[in-house]
Amino acid sequence: MSETPRPELIPIVFVPVIPIPGFLTGEVQSKLAYVDEAIAGARVESDKITLFLQPSAAPAGALLPERRAEVEEKVQRVVLSMARGAIQPKAQVLEDHLHRPVAYRKDPMIELLNRGEVSREGTGIYSLGPLLTRLINFFELQFLALAESFGAAPHRFPTLISARMLERVRYFSAFPHSLSFVTHLREDLDAIDQFAQSAACDEHGLNTPPESFSRIQALLSPAVCYHLYFSLADKPLPGGKVIATAVGSCFRYEAINLVSLERLWNFTMREVIFVGPKEFVLDNRETGRQRMARFFEQIGLAYRVESANDPFFIGEFRKQAAFQSAFQLKFEIRASLPFKDSTLAVGSYNYHQDFFGRNLNITLPDGSPAHTGCVAFGLERMAFAFLAQFGLDPAGWPQLVQEAMQ
Amino acid sequence: MDVEQKELSERVQALLVEALQVPLEVVTPDLSFGDLPQWDSMGHMEVMMRLEERFGVEINADTIATLTSVPQICAYLKENNRV
Repeated sequence: MSETPRPELIPIVFVPVIPIPGFLTGEVQSKLAYVDEAIAGARVESDKITLFLQPSAAPAGALLPERRAEVEEKVQRVVLSMARGAIQPKAQVLEDHLHRPVAYRKDPMIELLNRGEVSREGTGIYSLGPLLTRLINFFELQFLALAESFGAAPHRFPTLISARMLERVRYFSAFPHSLSFVTHLREDLDAIDQFAQSAACDEHGLNTPPESFSRIQALLSPAVCYHLYFSLADKPLPGGKVIATAVGSCFRYEAINLVSLERLWNFTMREVIFVGPKEFVLDNRETGRQRMARFFEQIGLAYRVESANDPFFIGEFRKQAAFQSAFQLKFEIRASLPFKDSTLAVGSYNYHQDFFGRNLNITLPDGSPAHTGCVAFGLERMAFAFLAQFGLDPAGWPQLVQEAMQ
Repeated sequence: MDVEQKELSERVQALLVEALQVPLEVVTPDLSFGDLPQWDSMGHMEVMMRLEERFGVEINADTIATLTSVPQICAYLKENNRV
């Protein structure tokens, strides 16, 4: 969540119901985006929470005590749920190249917008121009080469994903906050006529009454590899081992956390996916990491590979994040963003144990559930981090990239 | 297995019954993480939290990954003088 308050916002400050461990303050802060529509920004410290509320939270010019209490109570619930009994994650750094020299220190987003290379269509929705598109194509070729080095079979997956299948892998309880639902007008002449005649859109969205829309059967896909697991469900794994690759649009709603190309509602992910016995998956995940390290060295990218956890929602965060950390299931490739002295996850190396094999009944020849893992790259983030380190002028780019782009 | 070990194993099995919300008859003395659908990631963390509460042992990222069976949990409790 953005820490930068706008002047017209209403700040409120209070003490968390229990102290928030330092390793959790960022996670708690990011979750506050989903707590109340009035929250426009937040700053979370161990012993102090500052919220910035929308002016609309105080329609009469002053924030009502009951409204303040309501927001504060919800925030305290988040604090309790995430911080009580929290287990410090095991920090493991597999590669550290963050101090590689970089030539650029400005925020590329400003220049990209000025040049028309990026155009904003809505919150978290951007169109990309030729410079970014060519750069993304270059990275795609590298990721495809990685996939080919494994002999990965190419797949194409839909943008929509079945609600029923997401339920089977318990996505709704783990990541409810980031789901994007798909609906259509009900098969009802009156509802369709009514929509055709009176549909209008204001700053809050369409004015169509909710009862005109169908029940939810599909969502916008939050990840690529799920589709492969669904296609393998309820049968023995062919040959006992599968390596596949696919690229696809992914959707994760992140409320006011949606900022620039760093955090998009609609982004593109390339994955190389491994399904089979445990050692097969872990060995390939590690091989993938080593091969990518060679590429990142060639282009001089400043980055680090470190243990991480998925952004589980509040109810499951404490347990799931601790479990992922303890078993070292996820490592992120975090590229340097010199303009803000920070890093951005541009990819990850993941191992799911037999979670998908068990829940989707994907079996190995001995009847045991298959293990799964993947290496995944966010294409827009990869290109954005590259521009943040090397600038928009191709003359300043690494030789390898310049030559490939010609 | 001596009497003391058997008693400890039974206490741990009872804790698993509560944490995983499964019948006692499916919790065997050699049960491991993943043997039951309920002993998954969330179930495992429920077991860890209850171990911490019930026996006062320290649960951290290292112990979470090693306490993955009834015998391992018993051995850890014994090593840490919590029985």
